[in-house]
Amino acid sequence: MSKKKSLISFEDKLKRLEAITEKLESGEVDLEQSIVLFEEGVKLSKECISILNKAELKITTLQKELNNISINDED
Amino acid sequence: MSEVNEQIFSVSEITKSIKFILESSFEKISIEGEISNFKAHSSGHWYFSLKDEGAVINCTMWKGVNNFVFFTPEDGMKVIVTGRLTVYAPRGSYQIDVRTMKPAGVGELQAAFERLKKKLYEEGLFDEQHKKPIPYFPKKIALITSSEGAAVRDMISVAERRYPLVELLIVPTKVQGSDAAKEIVKNLDKINLLQDIDIVILARGGGSIEDLWPFNEEIVARAIFNSKIPVITGIGHEVDFTIADFVSDLRAPTPSVAMELATPDQEELKNFVTENSSTISELIDNLINEYKSEIEDYLNSYTFKYPLENVRRFSQQLDTINLRVNNLVEKKVLSYNSKLSLISKTLEGYDLQKSLKKGFALIKQNSKFVTRKNNFNKSEPHTIQFYDGEVKI
Repeated sequence: MSKKKSLISFEDKLKRLEAITEKLESGEVDLEQSIVLFEEGVKLSKECISILNKAELKITTLQKELNNISINDED
Repeated sequence: MSEVNEQIFSVSEITKSIKFILESSFEKISIEGEISNFKAHSSGHWYFSLKDEGAVINCTMWKGVNNFVFFTPEDGMKVIVTGRLTVYAPRGSYQIDVRTMKPAGVGELQAAFERLKKKLYEEGLFDEQHKKPIPYFPKKIALITSSEGAAVRDMISVAERRYPLVELLIVPTKVQGSDAAKEIVKNLDKINLLQDIDIVILARGGGSIEDLWPFNEEIVARAIFNSKIPVITGIGHEVDFTIADFVSDLRAPTPSVAMELATPDQEELKNFVTENSSTISELIDNLINEYKSEIEDYLNSYTFKYPLENVRRFSQQLDTINLRVNNLVEKKVLSYNSKLSLISKTLEGYDLQKSLKKGFALIKQNSKFVTRKNNFNKSEPHTIQFYDGEVKI
């Protein structure tokens, strides 16, 4: 499941959720399809909230070896 | 004779004397003048002249010393230099070996700022059409800033609070002093070689105009302009405007605000998710209720409410049909029966005629055939029927 999660980015999940809401709002989907979309939407909502709650800021510092990439180092 | 006393110097000897006298007389002097013919040699040394209305003096400022000058000098700028006078014997010239240089007044920096601003503006570096959009969901943000100080700490805590999904790449950079501009340019170019950076924040905490000067340098402005990654500047305080701010894709008044502009707010995102989730719940509830009431309508309809009624109605219909069918069948049967009896009579008659033809005769009394002797009454009239007719007796 976690593998499946990582395939779609957080941004895409939000976009999909929004699209589902719009689709259901349009009223152009039949009951069966609506329920499938609803279930997907609920799942996405839970995932999004949990992703945010679990997120931990990642901080890296530009490494020495990267520092050695010289562009046109005059020194 | 004065000739006897006259001392004759070689060129080198007299130059040596001049050098000694001049250099010892002007060991530490300060001079104010306008820079002209400024040349930063690729070796790192600076060569220029200082002039006023009446005179010109040549100056040199060596690499390593000029590192401490926080601004890049340019022709026309009034500066105050300190240094010592040196004589260069091979050329017979003198010059000032400059140790320090500062603008003759804050007005000089302001003037330099305005000159560069006008130049870059006219070149179109500030044009809105060059501003790159800032992605709304950055995955990785590079921070070009000092690794120490409040600015970097503030930015980290803003990122942590607003959008901890993001990854920060801190690029420790000197943001003050004369080589700061070069280092900013170098690091910005370097970050542009990385593939996964969505936004660059160029930041520095508050300070004097001198402290912030690297961000007013032309090379920094051009590096920002050339960056393929969108750059947000957060330099100094709200009141501070630098050339970097004008050329960047987005200007923030402080480093913290720069990080706020670079990241979405997770509380807003959570609200967005919750709103969507309750909207779809409501929609699906409504939809289900609609279907429910539709089904209820059906259930409340006559057919579903009185199902036996229908059965009765149908059975009544059936009965009627049955009756009609029965009547029809009966009629048919009756008509067949009468046909049958007619046929059988005919058949019977047919048999009788045959017998009569052969010579048999029939006796009728009281219009009945007399088939037995006992039934014959002599006194009664009777009829004998032959094949060819009857005889009444």
